[in-house]
Amino acid sequence: MLEILNQEPIRFILAFGATIFLVLNLAAILTMAERKVAGYIQMRYGPNRVGPRGLLQPAADVFKLFTKENLAPTKADLWTFLIAPIAMFLPAALVWIVIPFAPGAVIADLNVAIVFFLAITSISSLGIIMAGYGSRSNFSLLGALRGAAQIVSYEVPMILSLLGVIMLTGSLSLVDMVSNQAGGFWNWHFISQFPMFLVFYIAGLAEVQRVPFDLAEGESEIVGGFQIEYSGMTWGLIQAAEFAAMGVISAVAATVFLGGWQPPLPFLDLGQFNFIWLGLKVSLIIFTFQLIRWSLPRFRMDQLMDLGWKILVPICVAWIFVTAAAMLVF
Amino acid sequence: MIVAFGFLASMSLGCALGVVLSRNVIHSALFMSGSFLGIAGFFVMLNAPALAAFQVLIYVGAVTVVILFGIMFTQRPSVSSFRTIIQRQHMPGLVVAAGLAVFLSYIVSVQEWGGQTEPGQGPQETATFGENLLGVGGPEIFGLLFQVSAVLLMVSIVAAVVISRRKTDEGG
Repeated sequence: MLEILNQEPIRFILAFGATIFLVLNLAAILTMAERKVAGYIQMRYGPNRVGPRGLLQPAADVFKLFTKENLAPTKADLWTFLIAPIAMFLPAALVWIVIPFAPGAVIADLNVAIVFFLAITSISSLGIIMAGYGSRSNFSLLGALRGAAQIVSYEVPMILSLLGVIMLTGSLSLVDMVSNQAGGFWNWHFISQFPMFLVFYIAGLAEVQRVPFDLAEGESEIVGGFQIEYSGMTWGLIQAAEFAAMGVISAVAATVFLGGWQPPLPFLDLGQFNFIWLGLKVSLIIFTFQLIRWSLPRFRMDQLMDLGWKILVPICVAWIFVTAAAMLVF
Repeated sequence: MIVAFGFLASMSLGCALGVVLSRNVIHSALFMSGSFLGIAGFFVMLNAPALAAFQVLIYVGAVTVVILFGIMFTQRPSVSSFRTIIQRQHMPGLVVAAGLAVFLSYIVSVQEWGGQTEPGQGPQETATFGENLLGVGGPEIFGLLFQVSAVLLMVSIVAAVVISRRKTDEGG
């Protein structure tokens, strides 16, 4: 009976539908996590009215967003304006299909999974430009140009930072990368590739426009950037896209550098339940993202570009040579 | 398969028509990215995920974004729409399109394709991947092309540095 579910088109469609569903929920839960972490950092409780200790807050938020009216500026380019949130959300959801959750549990085991991840994340800058142009507002356009320039420049250190692990693994597949890190946390790539891990982390922060890099929003300068004209559920979808992108970057960082679903010590192997380890690692990375958001100020545009091009890229190139020399010697 | 092919074909062709027919440059560029995405979908159907990924990475993620940047930086944001003068060159366009159609039909129908090969997932190891890319063991022309493109990229990087260099003094 259940055999039919494992046949190819049905398996893929089911798994993909489940992924979209989970990513939407992830985004909703992360909004609450964000507010809770912010609350505790600022010595208050955060949302605590809806449900036990405020746990049902996301449901209330989504319900509120659905009941609000979707406004669009009269001069807006309506189709571009409305498609932009979807063009931002879909890439963040698509990357999940190449992440291995547990042994053998991956929706699509591509031989070029890393390139797929880079390709799909590069589409999201298109969504930002569409939002900025579609709203026909100067603030939006300014925010969109900032955001797109930032994403395009930080793609370079991000790609370079993955090269070290690709050289060590000899494969572009995420499944191979995870099995390459088996046997305890001292085999994980973040030890031998620590500078690359830091660069990937920083470039990932910039790629998802989290706080030290949120120049595209810049609420004190350009009052919200590309999302200024959005309201109701379209705004909700943009927020969901940002949180989902944060989840994706954390998942890729955990898979490439922190061993994916591999347990930290060999005797902690949980079989199919190893997805718990992946979940723990992803949550840890997301938590550090949130800590950074609530404790650091925003970069200036020139500082942002300097950091990307003059610090991160040279570190990556130097460490590629170190890795190559180490591979040659050992 | 037929459904997917129909969807991708109509998407690429519809978006390609949109590029030509829309009166707004930004819309043209966005339609172009849709057309590129459709072509990437074809590569996925042909079991060539690497080509599909590079198609998306380079054409959708880089070329379209750079075109959009160019348009947005060169036009004032306050203008109500980004219009251009569309050159109406029916006859040369028709000739080019017909020539391309004849050429492609020739390649698909007349040209010998050799033996039937089963499409596969492609090499799993980056070593074989790179060797295939550089044509190791076959004609060595790919290595030369690789080096030529590397030199081209180097020249463009140096040119970008020279152009964006801050002038230290007058006439410097």
